[in-house]
Amino acid sequence: MSDVYLDSSAIGYRLRSRRLMVAVVLVFLVFIGRLAQLQVVEGDELGQASEDNFIRTEVLSADRGAIYDHSMRPLAVNRPAFDLYVTPAHVKKLPLLLDGLRQVLELDALDLDRLREKLEEPRGMARFQPIRVRRDIDRELVARAEALRAQVDGISIRVEQQRAYPQNDIGSHLIGYLGRPRPEEVANGDPLRYRDGTMVGRAGLEQRFEEVLAGRNGLERFVVNARGARAADQRALGAVDDVIREPPVPGSDLVLTVDAEVQALLMQALSRYESGAIVAVDPRDGTVLGIVSKPTFDPNLWSGRLPAEVKREVDENPYKPMIDKSVHSFFPGSVYKVVTALAGLEENAIEADQEVDSPGSYEFGNRIFHCHKLSGHGHLDLSGAIAASADVYFYKLGERLGIDTLATYAARFGFGRRTGMEINGDSPGIVPTRAWHDEHTPGGYQFGLALSTAIGQGDVRTTPLQMAMAYAALANGGTLYAPRIIDRIQSPDGKTVQKVAPQVVGTLGARPEHIQQIVTGLERTVADTDIGTGTLAAVSYGRIAGKTGTAQVRDIERARFTDKVKDFRDRDHAWFAGFAPVESPRIVVVVFLEHGGTGGKEAAPVARQVIEGYHQRIEPIFNTAAVNDARTPRRERGLP
Amino acid sequence: MAGVARLDWSLVVLVLLIGAVGVFNLQSTSLSTGSNIHLKQLYWLVLGGVVMVVTAAVDYRHLDRFSPFLYGFAVLMLALVLGIGKEVNGSRRWFDLGPASVQPSELSKLAVIAALASWFNRVPRPAGYTLRDLLPVAGILGVPMFLILQEPDLGHTLMLLFIGFSMLAYERFDRRALLTLITAAIVAVPVMWRFVLRDYQKDRILTLLDGDVDRLGSGWHALQARVAVGSGGLFGKGHGMGTQVAGGFLPENHTDFVFANLSEEHGLIGSTFVLFLYLLLILGALRVASHARDKFGGHVAVGVAALIFWQVFMNIGMVLNLLPVTGVTLPLLSYGGSSVLTVMVAIGLLVNINLRRTVF
Repeated sequence: MSDVYLDSSAIGYRLRSRRLMVAVVLVFLVFIGRLAQLQVVEGDELGQASEDNFIRTEVLSADRGAIYDHSMRPLAVNRPAFDLYVTPAHVKKLPLLLDGLRQVLELDALDLDRLREKLEEPRGMARFQPIRVRRDIDRELVARAEALRAQVDGISIRVEQQRAYPQNDIGSHLIGYLGRPRPEEVANGDPLRYRDGTMVGRAGLEQRFEEVLAGRNGLERFVVNARGARAADQRALGAVDDVIREPPVPGSDLVLTVDAEVQALLMQALSRYESGAIVAVDPRDGTVLGIVSKPTFDPNLWSGRLPAEVKREVDENPYKPMIDKSVHSFFPGSVYKVVTALAGLEENAIEADQEVDSPGSYEFGNRIFHCHKLSGHGHLDLSGAIAASADVYFYKLGERLGIDTLATYAARFGFGRRTGMEINGDSPGIVPTRAWHDEHTPGGYQFGLALSTAIGQGDVRTTPLQMAMAYAALANGGTLYAPRIIDRIQSPDGKTVQKVAPQVVGTLGARPEHIQQIVTGLERTVADTDIGTGTLAAVSYGRIAGKTGTAQVRDIERARFTDKVKDFRDRDHAWFAGFAPVESPRIVVVVFLEHGGTGGKEAAPVARQVIEGYHQRIEPIFNTAAVNDARTPRRERGLP
Repeated sequence: MAGVARLDWSLVVLVLLIGAVGVFNLQSTSLSTGSNIHLKQLYWLVLGGVVMVVTAAVDYRHLDRFSPFLYGFAVLMLALVLGIGKEVNGSRRWFDLGPASVQPSELSKLAVIAALASWFNRVPRPAGYTLRDLLPVAGILGVPMFLILQEPDLGHTLMLLFIGFSMLAYERFDRRALLTLITAAIVAVPVMWRFVLRDYQKDRILTLLDGDVDRLGSGWHALQARVAVGSGGLFGKGHGMGTQVAGGFLPENHTDFVFANLSEEHGLIGSTFVLFLYLLLILGALRVASHARDKFGGHVAVGVAALIFWQVFMNIGMVLNLLPVTGVTLPLLSYGGSSVLTVMVAIGLLVNINLRRTVF
């Protein structure tokens, strides 16, 4: 047998054996080539991939700075919040887990489907990334989730800092709220800053001082195994030289100039009105004592998981709770007349004691400009015209001064530009000029526009905060301040990092006697029971100066509102801007009631309530003993 | 018995070297996973060495006569394992014998090699085999392949097919048979895809073609193997320093993906060295074939060469992401008693055939 094999076929077998050898060698060459490709050509890239496998970088979130009021009452702080997570890779029995979560979190079928999708979607390493199922669960839910965690794999509970606002909705516009960073912020921003779960300021001071409050997140790189668990011995794997830990730097705290009690006082003063704002500042240095807007919102809800019904309620609220009316611009009406008055005096268009006939209407060109008092006021000097808010007096002044001169003086009062508060838009408002009208008004500028501008109508728009700073300038003798809302920035351990000084942004540039003449008119507004429009702002024990404003508003798009809202929309804006005590002003109060009615009837008493409340509950500003001795009260009013 | 002087030491030395590399490499995974599988592997190698000596000692020509029984026994075991085998991850491949598990598909490879060699020996066709001659060959291959596919174990099914084709390639065919074989191979691909392959097996193939099909399943394995190999670089991360195994990222690190661990820790240098050892072993086996005293010996040696080659091919091809993920182990490097014993018996046969070679 072997002979046959050897003789006839040996050569053929040897040939084919050699062919097989060549084939084998070729295959091995391919393998070696592939090895070289992976290990040399792609070596760095795959080396990085292997590092990415076991080195996990975790962002250590910095505690956000707190916000305190002037008396160190907490306005915005952090509290621990428990978030429920599921890690898809650790889930062994998905149906069991889903059923458990359904019971604990009371999920409906739709939620459940969505959750299942979310858990089944990730692939590869992404499955080791925990997915947040529910944010900020309460303690009872934490206990039940812990019980579930003991039964099924994949659940974890993490503690995050949740923002809390102890004052709830009081002064919420000023404080603002937090929100999740937008995708583009995450994409373009500092990855340390915008990690998953980081909330950023979305309104108010939270937004304005984001940089100060946020601090800097830390960073930790550590070794994990395939289950995502931290390896016990960080050096065990040998290859890691750069396990680093950079501790987070907590944000700084803000101490405000406002006082929570003042804020509460202002809200209380607004209680009878649907919509409006009150600003109280110290005219001596522009310090903001209180600033509120109504309706409010609860920042606790907005900074967490906003319930859909709350969101809808807010969206559909005709009084627009999310607009901060203290820095939103509106028609000022007659409170703006101080601009015209000062311009008139400074430009020598009028003398303070010069009497001007102020009838019920004024014919200019082919138009008739009416006074709010159709019977007219007769002859009035400047203080009388201010006190009675005689429109024709100011029409005449406006005619003489022209719109651009008025605008020049408006600018000195700070109108037409941002106050420097820089929260919630801090609207610059509008101070119309000839050029402005040429650009914005159909048909361009017409001279009659100067007349309506002179009484704060036409296209003038100011914010309550601007108005407060303007009246503060009148009260302090001519210095225009930027509102000082932050008293100091301090480190988490309570050390002052930065004390915020008052900031002068301008001056009225007027002769003191001119300012005094206007103040006299403002005091008469409150004090003169015969012609004063703001007498409801008066208190028996002190001198108050102020101006009422009733801005006529025609609302165009009112058809879709309810009767109550229509009624609201038809009413004028009611303003009162004033300060007290006149002899040494300590507080400027601006009351703005959106569609609140007339300034004298509605806004003036609100201002009185604020001034009285401030005097009685916060700080006595009136030297009552001296006043009672020196003066006989003009009006008898029972103290509340 | 032929003299020890005729012993081809190079084969024995190669096997010992590969075995030692295997134990050394498994010692690293033992370190990371806190097991002692490298010691168990050593015991299997010692036992395998004894089996190899015994296999080498008894004249292989007895195997020629004995092969039908061996083949029948293997088929019986394959049928039995489908019924009473231990189910692991949805497939029945092992008999659970308490401390050890036995994989009959390993035995079937040797049985098929012996049966085919025996058939070629008994049916000589100096002018080349015809198409009709190939029917028995198809039968001998087909029955165990069919059974193994039921387990299911695509890797071993293909192994048998490849071994069979390799042994055929060592023979002469007439033109018609050759054409038919080639045509069959081409037709087989879509037919297998449609009727034979299960979804997860298709997934593995798709994964290879498109790495993103399933990064969690077989794609995950393949990706992590590739990461392990690539991150080894030129010189490797060092013995016991592989992070892919220690971190638990590399699955099946002591069996199917054992070469990835070696590549990660010993780099291109170490991997090439091991490939070189395998190459020498396979070339040595083919050399034994061409020097075999008779046709049976020659075919057995080619079968053994094919056995080792295809396992290396499929396993390393898989680790290097050139081939789909199949559960084919790497001879002597992968942990596993059945695999070690099979390879040692196969090498024993080689030594045996070589001892009884003709001398020119």
